[in-house]
Amino acid sequence: MTYALVSLSVPLFCALLLTLAGPKLDSRHAGQIAIVCSALSLVAAWFALMQMAELNQTILLELGGWESGLAIRLRLNPLSSLLLLFTAFMHVLIGVYAAFSRQGVSRDFWPLSSFLHGSLAALWLSADLFNLYITLELLGLTAVAMVALAGKKAYKPAANYLILSLVASLFYLLGVALIYGRYGSLDVVLLSLQTQSDLLTRIALLIMTAGLMLKAALWPLHLWLPAAHANAPTAVSALLSGLVVKGPLFILFLLWSEVAPVDLAQQIGPVLAIAGMIALVAGGLSAMRSPYIKTLVAYSTVAQLGYAMMALGLLLTWQLPQMHVALWLFVIAHGLAKATLFLAAGEMQATLGTKRISGLRGATQTVPVAMFAFAVAGGSLIGLPPSGGFLAKWVLLQPLLSEPQNWPWAFGVLLGTLVSAAYIFRVVAISFDRARINPPDIRPDRVGHWLALLPALMVWGMALTGDWLIQLLAGSSV
Amino acid sequence: MSAMQLYTIVGAAIFLLALHGLLMTTDSIRRLIAVNLMGAGTFLIMIALAARISPPDPVLHALVVTGLVVAISATALALRLITSAAIAQHSQDSENKGDGDLSEDVKP
Amino acid sequence: MTFELMPDIILSTLLLLMAWGALYAPTRHDAMALFVAFGLVVALIWARLGAPDLALAEAAIGAGLTGVLLLQAARLLPAESASTEHRPLWFRSSLLFLLVTTAMFASMILNNNSLQLAGSGISANVTADSASLPEMVAAAMGDSGVGHPVTAVLLNFRAWDTLLELLVLLLALTGVRQLYPGVNRNQQAVANTIEQTWPLLLAWARFLAPLLVLTGGYLLWRGADGAGGAFQAGAMLAAAAVILRLTGLLPGLSWSSLLLRLAVNIGALVFLSVALATLMFGDGWLVYPVQWAGALIVAIEVFATLSIAVTLSLLVVGEPEELSA
Repeated sequence: MTYALVSLSVPLFCALLLTLAGPKLDSRHAGQIAIVCSALSLVAAWFALMQMAELNQTILLELGGWESGLAIRLRLNPLSSLLLLFTAFMHVLIGVYAAFSRQGVSRDFWPLSSFLHGSLAALWLSADLFNLYITLELLGLTAVAMVALAGKKAYKPAANYLILSLVASLFYLLGVALIYGRYGSLDVVLLSLQTQSDLLTRIALLIMTAGLMLKAALWPLHLWLPAAHANAPTAVSALLSGLVVKGPLFILFLLWSEVAPVDLAQQIGPVLAIAGMIALVAGGLSAMRSPYIKTLVAYSTVAQLGYAMMALGLLLTWQLPQMHVALWLFVIAHGLAKATLFLAAGEMQATLGTKRISGLRGATQTVPVAMFAFAVAGGSLIGLPPSGGFLAKWVLLQPLLSEPQNWPWAFGVLLGTLVSAAYIFRVVAISFDRARINPPDIRPDRVGHWLALLPALMVWGMALTGDWLIQLLAGSSV
Repeated sequence: MSAMQLYTIVGAAIFLLALHGLLMTTDSIRRLIAVNLMGAGTFLIMIALAARISPPDPVLHALVVTGLVVAISATALALRLITSAAIAQHSQDSENKGDGDLSEDVKP
Repeated sequence: MTFELMPDIILSTLLLLMAWGALYAPTRHDAMALFVAFGLVVALIWARLGAPDLALAEAAIGAGLTGVLLLQAARLLPAESASTEHRPLWFRSSLLFLLVTTAMFASMILNNNSLQLAGSGISANVTADSASLPEMVAAAMGDSGVGHPVTAVLLNFRAWDTLLELLVLLLALTGVRQLYPGVNRNQQAVANTIEQTWPLLLAWARFLAPLLVLTGGYLLWRGADGAGGAFQAGAMLAAAAVILRLTGLLPGLSWSSLLLRLAVNIGALVFLSVALATLMFGDGWLVYPVQWAGALIVAIEVFATLSIAVTLSLLVVGEPEELSA
C-alpha cells in the first residue's frame, strides 16, 4: 500500500511545487520536473503492482487508522494497481511527447497534467462514494482547464464541457446523498453488504448512473465529447480520450458490480450492453462521416467506449468474471491506441497544415512515420492480432461464441469491428493517394512523429504480456 | 410530515426545476445559475437528512462544507470561461467587420 | 399539517418561488438578483435545520461571492441573445413531467420510512448490531484531537476529502489564471471595481470588513470545539477581502510575488506533507499520533484557512495583472 500511496502523492506534490514555482520556471524545466515525477510515480506503481501480483488480494487502508466505516477507506487490488501503473505510464509517454516534440505545450500544461495524474490515482484507489465524487470533480476541472489551454477558440467548448461535467457530478452527488440517507454509509465495501433492491436504492443508482454515463460520454450521453476532445491541444486530447473518460467508467463499474444488489445489476446489465452496441455502430458511423481528422478520432472514442460498456453490461448480466478482464483490457488497449491516434493526428495536422481528412492525400509519402503510427494504432482499435485490442476482443468473444444464444452479442461486436475498420481504412486509403499529394507546410518533426508511434508499439507489445495480464485481472474480479 | 421530509421534497423539487431550467435555456449564465440551483437542492437534501437526529449528523455537514467549496471553485472557473469565450467571440466578430475597439462595446 | 411546520412551509414556498424566478426571470439581471436572494433563504433554512455555521458559509459563498462573480460576468458579457429563442412546446411542457416526478418522489418520501428516523439510530434498516455513523463519530471524538464533530470529520476521519478539496480550489485558480490572456485588462478592471464608490458604501465597507475578519477569526478559533472551522472562517475572510477590494480599499497583489503563491499553496502543501510524514515516520497515511492530533489539526486548519481565504478572494476579484505572470 505504501508504494501505491507514494505513486499517488508524488504527482500531487509535483503539481503543488509547479504552481508554487510560478512564472520563474520556464516550460522546459517544468516539463522535466513533471516527467521525472511521473516516472517516479511509475516506478512506485510498478512495485505496488508486483506486490499485488504476489499477494493477489485486496488491501484496505483505513485512513487515520479508524475503525471501518468511520473514516474514508482506500483500497488497493490488482485492478487498481494496474490502473495506477497505466496512468503513470501514459503520463510519462505523453509528457515525453509534449516536452520533446516541436508542437510542444505551454508552461501551464505541466501543473495541470500533474494534477490530472494525481486525481486519477486518487480515483483508482478510493473506495468511498463521496471521496469518489471529489476525485470526479478534480478530474473534471482539470480536464476543462486543459481543454482551455488550446486558446481562445477552445473557450466555448471548454465552458460547455464544464457545465455538463458539473451537472453530471451533481447527479452523482444527489445519488450519493440518497444512498447515505438510506443506508447511513459511504463505504463501497460496507454498502455492498447492506444494499437492498428497494425503490429508493433503484432511484439513487439510476441517478448516479445517468451522471456517470454523461461524464464518461457513454452513448446516448456522448454528444459533448467530440467538441471538447477535438478542440483541445494534441497532448491534452490524448490524455482526455486515453484516461479521463475512464475515471467515471471505473466508478460506474464499482457502483454496479459492488454497491448495487445483484438482482438490480442483472436488470441493468442488458440495457448497458445494448447501449454499448449502439454506441459501437453509431459512434463508428459518425467517425466515418466526419470531415476532420481529430473529430474522427474523437468519435472513435465514443465507439470504442461502446465495447467497454458492452463488457460491463454483460459482466453484470451474467456475473461472469471473464467480462471483467475484457472490460479492463479494453480500457488499457484503447488508452494506448488512442494516445497514438491523437498524437499522430495532431502531428499530421501541424505538418500538412490541414484539419481535413481530405488533406491527408499522400501522407504515406510526406509524413510516413506519423501515418504509420496512425495505422498501427488503428489496427489495435480494429482488433487485428496480436494487438492489445485483439486480446481484449478475444476475451470478450470467447464466452459469446461458445453459446449459440449469445451470438447476437457476438454479431454486435463483429459489426463494431467492421465499422471501426471502415473509418480507419478511410484515412489510410486517402493517405495512399499519391497522385494528388498535399505538400507539407513545414518540415516534418521527426522526433514528434516517432514519439507519437511509441504508445502504439506498446499496445502491440501488450499481447506479449497477455497471459499475465489476464491472470492478474481475473484474480481481482472476486 | 416532518420538517425533514418537507425539505427533502423541496430539495428534490428544486433539483428538478433547475434541471428543467437548464434544458430550457441556451444562455451560459442562466445555465450556470441553474447548475448552482441544482447544487443547492442537493445540499438542502443533505442538510435535511442530517437533521434527522439531534445533534445533527456531523458527517453530512462535513460533506456539505466540502461540496460548497467545490461548487464555488467550479462556478468561478465556469464564469471566467464564459466571459473569456464571449470576449474572444466578440473580438473575432469585430475583427471580421474590420472595426474597432471592443472595450467600448462591452461596457454596460 | 401541524402549526409548527408553518414557518417551514412559508420558507419552502418562498424558496421555490425564488428558484423559479432565478431560472425564468425575463432579464439576466433579475435572475441573478433572485439567485442571490435564494442563497440567503437557503442560509436561513440551514440555520433552522441546526447548521448555523454552514448557513454563514452559504450566505458568504452561495449568495455573496457567487453573486459578485455573476454580476462581474454580466458586465463583461454582451447582452443576452437567448431570450428570444424559444424551445418547442413539447419541450417546455416537460415541466409537467417534472411535477409528476416530484410528486412521486414526495409520496415515496412520505410513505416509505426508509429515510425516516427511528429514535437515535440513523435508519431502521441498518442492522442493529452496528452503530450508526454519527454514533461512531461521537464515540471516536475522544481520540480525534478536537471537540467539534464536524471539524473532526473534516480534518481527521475524512481528512483525505478535505485535502482533495483544497486541491480543487487551487486547480480552479490555476484554470482561471491561464485564461487571462484572453481578457482585455481594462475590461477586467472595469468589472472589478465599482466606479465612483459612494461615501456611504465606503463607510459601510470599513465597518463590515473588520467585522467579517473578526467573525472569521472567531470561527477558526472556535472550530476546534464548536460550530466553525477552517472553511467557514476562510469564506468569511474572503468575503471581507472582496468587499474591501470592490470598494478600492485593498491594493492589488502580484502573482509574481512568491509570498502570494505560497499563501495559495500552503494549505495543501502542509496537509500533504503531514500525510507523507505520517506515512513515512508514523503509523500510516494520515494517522495522526494521538497526543499530537490536536496540534496537527490546528496547524493544518490555520494554513488551510489562509489558503482558502486567499484563493477564494483571488478567484472572485483577482485582476489580470495580479494573476498573469
